[in-house]
Amino acid sequence: MATNISFLLNGDKISYEIKDHWTLLHLLREEMGLIGTKEGCGNGECGACTVIVDKLAINSCLYLAIDADEKIIETIEGLASTDGTLHPLQQSFVDNGGIQCGFCSPGMIMSSKALLDENPKAGHEEIKHALAGNICRCTGYVQILDSVEAARDKGGQNE
Amino acid sequence: MSDYTIIGKRMPRVDSRAKVMGKAKFTADLKLPGMLVGKIKRSPYAHAKILNINTSKAMALPGVKAVVTGKDTEGIKWGVFAYTRDQEFIQTQKVRYIGDEVAGVAAVDEETAIKALDLIEVTYEELPAVFDPMAAMASQTELIHEDFPDNINIHVNIDTGHVDENFKKAHYIREDTFVASEESYFQAEPYAIAARFDHEDCLEVWMPNGGPHMKAKPLSNAFKIPLHKVKVRKIAIGGAFGGRSEICPVDYICALLAKKTKQPVKIEFTREENTIATRQGHSMITTHKTGVDKDGRVLARETTCYMDGGAYSSTGPIATSVPFLSMEQAYRMGSVRYNGYRIYTNKPIRGMIRTHGRGFACGLDTQLDMIAENLGIDPVEIRLKNSRQSGEYTSTKSYVDSCAMDETILKAVEKSGFKEKWGKLPPFHGIGIGTNSVQTGFPMGIRGGSQSFIKFNEDGEATVMSGVVDNGQGNDNMLVQIAAEELGLLPEDIHLVSADTETTSSDPGSYSQVSTFVGGQAVKNAAANCREKLFKVASKILKVAPETLAAANRMIFVKNDPEKSIPIRKVVRISLLNFTSVNAEGGYWPRVDMKREWVSNPYGQMCEAFSFGTTIVEVKVDPDTGQVEVMEVTAAQDVGYALNPLVLEGQFEGSIAMGGQGGMLTEYHEWKDGRCINTTMLDYKLPLACDMPPKINNIIVESIDPKGPYGAKEAGMSIAMSAAQGYSSAVSNAIGVYMDSFPLTPDKILAAIKEKKQ
Repeated sequence: MATNISFLLNGDKISYEIKDHWTLLHLLREEMGLIGTKEGCGNGECGACTVIVDKLAINSCLYLAIDADEKIIETIEGLASTDGTLHPLQQSFVDNGGIQCGFCSPGMIMSSKALLDENPKAGHEEIKHALAGNICRCTGYVQILDSVEAARDKGGQNE
Repeated sequence: MSDYTIIGKRMPRVDSRAKVMGKAKFTADLKLPGMLVGKIKRSPYAHAKILNINTSKAMALPGVKAVVTGKDTEGIKWGVFAYTRDQEFIQTQKVRYIGDEVAGVAAVDEETAIKALDLIEVTYEELPAVFDPMAAMASQTELIHEDFPDNINIHVNIDTGHVDENFKKAHYIREDTFVASEESYFQAEPYAIAARFDHEDCLEVWMPNGGPHMKAKPLSNAFKIPLHKVKVRKIAIGGAFGGRSEICPVDYICALLAKKTKQPVKIEFTREENTIATRQGHSMITTHKTGVDKDGRVLARETTCYMDGGAYSSTGPIATSVPFLSMEQAYRMGSVRYNGYRIYTNKPIRGMIRTHGRGFACGLDTQLDMIAENLGIDPVEIRLKNSRQSGEYTSTKSYVDSCAMDETILKAVEKSGFKEKWGKLPPFHGIGIGTNSVQTGFPMGIRGGSQSFIKFNEDGEATVMSGVVDNGQGNDNMLVQIAAEELGLLPEDIHLVSADTETTSSDPGSYSQVSTFVGGQAVKNAAANCREKLFKVASKILKVAPETLAAANRMIFVKNDPEKSIPIRKVVRISLLNFTSVNAEGGYWPRVDMKREWVSNPYGQMCEAFSFGTTIVEVKVDPDTGQVEVMEVTAAQDVGYALNPLVLEGQFEGSIAMGGQGGMLTEYHEWKDGRCINTTMLDYKLPLACDMPPKINNIIVESIDPKGPYGAKEAGMSIAMSAAQGYSSAVSNAIGVYMDSFPLTPDKILAAIKEKKQ
């Protein structure tokens, strides 16, 4: 079965003919070539595939593409400005060592963005809670939490 | 050390911008024109004879481009050493674990490939299987490998002599046995490989790897093509932790499918495949017998360890040795006898892991705590009495040059308040200490050294070529930092070409904590040679002797008169216009004992430097649930010299997560009839952000190794091990029972508390 869906992706209007069994992850990665969103488990456990749908961080591996119809979708590709300026969260992850192998990073940053968009003053415990669905095997999370807190403290501004 | 302009600074990593933007390409992200999807048919049995494989139905399925079985492999066997070649890339005679490779498929898409797997008909005759190493040794049923009696794969025997006579001199002797389950890597990125044969019949491959040159050689052997025709390409790697070093069957199968179809093929592992069909950590049963004098000095030790090696050898001889070596480096042992046995079972293959020997090390440290209690001294004192000192030889005759073990102990003790807390904390509240040591490299024979090339471009920027691979730990940044420092450039002026076997020279890989010490040193030497050439030209222009010059911030200047200077860019241009090369090479080969061999001659210089670390952990245990709440972790490591404290702290914290929080509290595999039943990240219980201790203190100790680059050693593994020991010691201290089975899950903790009450 094929269905036509329309959605807003990183600010662009998209219309796409999809197969009904596709996940949003499949649509983004395999069909649209947006490889910044990663597949770490395919079971909704690791959070590497996190994207934001209507302001909510979701596991795109468990989210059917057909449900993206009429939704607003944000992926890691949409964060930096077109002139190459990083989003404050991205810059903070760079500056505070929140990146090691980088595989979990896009999902980690998207979960952090969904949180700070909703609550720009989120505390340490709230941040830990918001990132509990994103598994990192490299960092021990300390520098990731530092990165999110530093971005929060700058109030969404780069330096 | 303030002379450096770039080294030693908290520099954000050069690879992080691409990673935060989602632009870094991992193997699964690759799309090549005409690329097919590959899948592996795996054994459903733990031990069975293969009677027949029929691929005709699978081949007939529209969209299937190739099916390969053991018949296509020409009987080639893989093993890290000549004496451990026990694994066919695709099995022809029998399967030895649930997940063993029996066939590979390449098809136009994933659905077709999966359908094709189901259409491959394999007829098996099931054989009795063994899943426990002790049972495997005593088994009377068919051997797992016929050439290995009693299913013993490897036996390492180390004996310094005088063990029995020194036990007779001992004031106090204890013998205790410790067990630990198998653990897994759970790299964030599931394993994947893409392969193609190009227009010149060169094999081009992309995969996460612990050393591209280590992957290239066996592929060259297997396909009988020269090394220059095997091009292992650079690709972002989502973690390794020791598990991605050797070639594995899927590498060969993917390349074979590409050869057969003449199209690129990509195989992406599922999370379950990544758990069962790459490598796992060994489970171990370790008995330590230790004799001490009245002050707690170890006079004699005898250790026997049985490791469950799974179905094949893998890095067997190394894996059987390293837990012992780490401990003989950390502690003086007087005289010692070690017998390590790696046993075949019908379980997935075991390899090296960052926390390799957690039960071995935790056992040794727990026993030291027991001995200390008997003698009425505290855990710190007994460690200081036996800790490794600079200028000594290990039991297996490695000279230890730089060593600040005591400083790591003392600084961690001070920072954590150990002395004020130990023995004075309320019930179920405890504190413990662990110490460990790690090698900077294993003897790697012809691949033990690294070579680097540096070329200057006419705009004054440089391209650095190195075989070092970055698994995520920051090796790329380490190389750029070193090159920029030596050449007097800024990090953004350096373009790094690395981890590609076509363009870089041989290198030992990131395996065995060697990257900085050997690969970093090679880049440092190449850059110094390059700088010397530039200085020669600059000295003529500035009319001073080359020795008086220095380089920084893109300028060459006179040290005592920095105003007298010239831009590097200009020197490069003048050199080229005067028929003078500005490129250079440099290499580094650690002076190890080339006669040292894991089994036949386990004595001699192992590597040139060792790192040393201490972790102190404070916990509270809930006596009703057995849950452990970690309050504070203090980690101190002698890293030699901190090239980049920002990166180092990330290694410390990641080590505490993997070795301590996960490694000692939650991480282990569960089994049913040889089938691993917790193959996923949540079932296995990896630590999450909310699980981490609220307070981590990182203490960087610098012993400035005389041979390491700027004095640096390693920082990726030692804390993972000492954290495991610190966690176990703290829990034992909290509940008042010396634990002997790891990890320390709530059920074991509750049982220990209950037993103590009775």
